[in-house]
Amino acid sequence: MTQPEITRDEIMAVFPTIAETMADALGCDVDDIKLDVSLIEGLDAESIDFLDMVFRLERAFKIRIPRGKIVENARGTLSEAEFEQNGLVTGVGLAQLRAYLSEVPAERFKTPTKVKDIPRLFTPETFCKLVISAQRSAKAPG
Amino acid sequence: MADHFAAFSFVDRITDFTPGVRARGQFAVPAALPAFRSCLVAEAVGQLAAWVAMAQVNFRGRPVAALASETRFHGDVAPGAVLGLAVEIDSCDDEAVAYSGCATSDDALAIELLDCLGPMLPAAEFDSPEALAARFELLRGRGAPPGRFDGVPMPGIVRGAGVPGESLAAVLHVPAMAPFFADHFPRCPVFPATLLLDAQIGLALQLAAEAPDLPAGTQPAPVRITHVKMRSFIPPGEVLALDAQRAPTGGGTGQIMLRARAGDKTVSTARLEYAPRGVA
Repeated sequence: MTQPEITRDEIMAVFPTIAETMADALGCDVDDIKLDVSLIEGLDAESIDFLDMVFRLERAFKIRIPRGKIVENARGTLSEAEFEQNGLVTGVGLAQLRAYLSEVPAERFKTPTKVKDIPRLFTPETFCKLVISAQRSAKAPG
Repeated sequence: MADHFAAFSFVDRITDFTPGVRARGQFAVPAALPAFRSCLVAEAVGQLAAWVAMAQVNFRGRPVAALASETRFHGDVAPGAVLGLAVEIDSCDDEAVAYSGCATSDDALAIELLDCLGPMLPAAEFDSPEALAARFELLRGRGAPPGRFDGVPMPGIVRGAGVPGESLAAVLHVPAMAPFFADHFPRCPVFPATLLLDAQIGLALQLAAEAPDLPAGTQPAPVRITHVKMRSFIPPGEVLALDAQRAPTGGGTGQIMLRARAGDKTVSTARLEYAPRGVA
């Protein structure tokens, strides 16, 4: 079942906690955490920092975020084969990715996009969506 | 292979085990050692968690040190003591293990590890999965013979420049060869993160000891280390630049930001909180 679209109000409600959590994980000032800053290119985050941020967000929001959940969410209803082939995001996959990461400026999407480079697109807003999605899943019946 | 499961292994026996959930164990600290440092007590707790995690994934993966939110130092462990080890697993799968744990000595709390996370990597890259599985059965059964551990040659640090009471730098030469590399790990020697932290804590305490606000008749002692983040493996022979930056909090207490770099690459970061302790 697909979830209703995440609203701006929902994002702004979780953003302050996410900004504090990210600043603590990255060792930077909370004011450096803007919704649309690239975590890798703007804040020098590495893969261990993503692991750290997810681990901290799980505890801060008392949610469970399975590893690789961002890409799974971004894939939406597409199958893995529809989303990627030979390590590259397919055309339909890229359209889906652009829709999910709507906060990321169009010029930051490269063609072709390697699956391993998807985290380069992530911003704090991406993590806001991740948290909201996990909160909704936790509240969902059954 | 005499050093395998000996030169850097700190679980003798797993006495209580709920798969994927919790475990208790013990380690007899050899009486002949000159000391048993807190970093090795923390290592013992982490190793018990690693056994639970490896068993949970049928020894396909093994966790490596990555994140430790908080480690609280409560007391020293004397040679000859028997460490009681306990871990609670928050989550464990093929990707990572999240856990907390503690170690006791003579029923007194020695160390607590809170909210640690270790990514799981293919076990076969580090050790023989079959040997690990067999060792686990031994630990779950009659236990390993005590007294295997001969001590660790703690790498020295060469003090560098600094501003008294504010910052201090040093160089750590990771040995190219040491018995513990045969155990950590047999197929991929890695300098243990806990030994790096020990060196960094030593540097931080040197810095704190020279702070002008340290009360007379006291020495700084570690209270807790937080935000430990290991960013990459450290191979044998690596040369690390360590630096410590102090942020005083008053009354002789303070926080020290720790960083280790290999060339331009930051390999680890952490924050140490310390407090003055009376000198006997």
